[in-house]
Amino acid sequence: MSETPVAVRGLTKHYGTVKAVNDLSFTVGAGQVCGLLGPNGAGKTTALRMLVGLAHPTAGNTQLFGTTVQPGCPELRRVGTMIEHASFVPHLTGIANLRYYWEAGGDRFEDADVDGSLAVAGLGDAINRKVKTYSQGMRQRLGIARSLLGRPELLVFDEPTNGLDPQEMRAVRALLRRVGDEGKTVLLSSHILSEIEQICTHAVVMDRGKLVATGTVAELIASGASAYIETDDAERSRAVLGAVPGVAGVRDESPGCVVELDGATRPQLVAALVAAGIGVQTVTSRHALEEAFLGLVGEETERHIGKGA
Amino acid sequence: MLRLLRTEIVKTLRRPRTWIALGFVTLVPIIIAIAIKASPPTLEGGRGGPGGGRVYLVAATQSGLYMPIAALRIMSQFFLVVVICLFAGDAIASEAGWGNLRFLLTRPIARGRLLVAKLGVAALFGLIATLLVALAGLLVGGALFGFGNQTIPQLGVTQSTGALLGHLALSVLLITWGLSGVAAFGFMVSTMTDSSAGAIFGAVGLYLVTSILGAIDSIGSIRFGMPTYYLDSWSDLFRVGSMTDDMWRSIFAQVPYVIVFVGIAFWWFHRKDVTS
Repeated sequence: MSETPVAVRGLTKHYGTVKAVNDLSFTVGAGQVCGLLGPNGAGKTTALRMLVGLAHPTAGNTQLFGTTVQPGCPELRRVGTMIEHASFVPHLTGIANLRYYWEAGGDRFEDADVDGSLAVAGLGDAINRKVKTYSQGMRQRLGIARSLLGRPELLVFDEPTNGLDPQEMRAVRALLRRVGDEGKTVLLSSHILSEIEQICTHAVVMDRGKLVATGTVAELIASGASAYIETDDAERSRAVLGAVPGVAGVRDESPGCVVELDGATRPQLVAALVAAGIGVQTVTSRHALEEAFLGLVGEETERHIGKGA
Repeated sequence: MLRLLRTEIVKTLRRPRTWIALGFVTLVPIIIAIAIKASPPTLEGGRGGPGGGRVYLVAATQSGLYMPIAALRIMSQFFLVVVICLFAGDAIASEAGWGNLRFLLTRPIARGRLLVAKLGVAALFGLIATLLVALAGLLVGGALFGFGNQTIPQLGVTQSTGALLGHLALSVLLITWGLSGVAAFGFMVSTMTDSSAGAIFGAVGLYLVTSILGAIDSIGSIRFGMPTYYLDSWSDLFRVGSMTDDMWRSIFAQVPYVIVFVGIAFWWFHRKDVTS
């Protein structure tokens, strides 16, 4: 497959004087699991709506597999979507909802990947119950099953774990990881940083409708310039780490320390500590993306405030 | 398109609200028939002129063939209007209210095709509702009053059973079409809101307002342009025995309303940002 599954170019959406999305550009390559990351109100959902033809851009365009998106365009057949929470016709059963959703597109239900989708959803006999009896988690799982019916090459999910309890969140994340492992391209929006870090290979960071950063999750974490390290000699390790080239600073965060990176990598830090005879107990990326995200969005916010002043 | 139409029909058929509405339009003629059997009406003390509805109730007690006409006459004043507006107002707004519209539109379906399917299904169920009033009236009328005497002096014309049934079928079409301007308004509002109740009440409201305006002589010829001004003209089929000028006016009066309201619905829906 040579076409780029997702290409967003200069995408802009104004609601009156509000710029919900402002000159947003990014691409998602084949096989990537890309997180669209941003705080609430960053414009993620609006961008995804435009991507699948639900909303009209004020300027710019979105492309799916090299074709500019129009409402109802044929390329949507290659895409599975779940924009915001999964919704269904409440008086129909789960399976009837899948059938009528699928057949509305002019396709035969027999040609859809019903068994595969139902296996992913794991709803069992509940698939024959009316959807109005479903929990939110069951609806989300049915929503994911619906998005998989056409064996899509691209999945577009908007905050798929929103409103779920921790157990349901874990199940949905596992499901998304499995989908990603199968080689499908996934574009997933979320404001939950750990979710992006757990599931995604790439990320696009948005704030106030604008692109803040894009790259692999590893690159973004590196750009976040921090690592949390615990050793058996905190005082000496701070001195050693401070001398490593590419370290911008070390600050105490008992019982360990946080190293601000400016080019150095975590393996280099560990190597320096080991070389100095210091035992390394923990090197964690627990807050890595969070710090990267806050750093990126914080810079943008500061610039914004600065301009406003 | 056929698959889309079928899915829309099945979705409507499986909806409890549909069965309640269709059950209601079936039940009311039965109740009316039982009521006039228990207490036969007379022309005295009511609007019993040749064009008034009361005359059909009197006629129904003499031949069950007139029961559906009486039922249609009563139902088309309000209850049938509500039911037809329900199907029109529900068309898009209910889908949006469930939050399902945004998923439906992520299928490769042109928005225009979806609207055509929704409009077709609303028209079909509106027609079915009117037909049920006639059929229920015919069956219960035959059961309670028989299909005998067709000479009703108060109507001034005698028709054969075949002519009466033919005119009854034509009446069903005329009533449904006579409400199409109002229903088109409900359909238009349905594309603009997530609340099907808002669209339904909007259409019923338009019907009430135009009916009231149509009854005010002092507004002059404007009232002749109201979509429902000639709504009752279909009953001339049973007094005159053929199409009258008012019936043709009723047919043509709907055309501009349907074109404008449905046209706006398509225009609006094409440029709409779907969020629900």
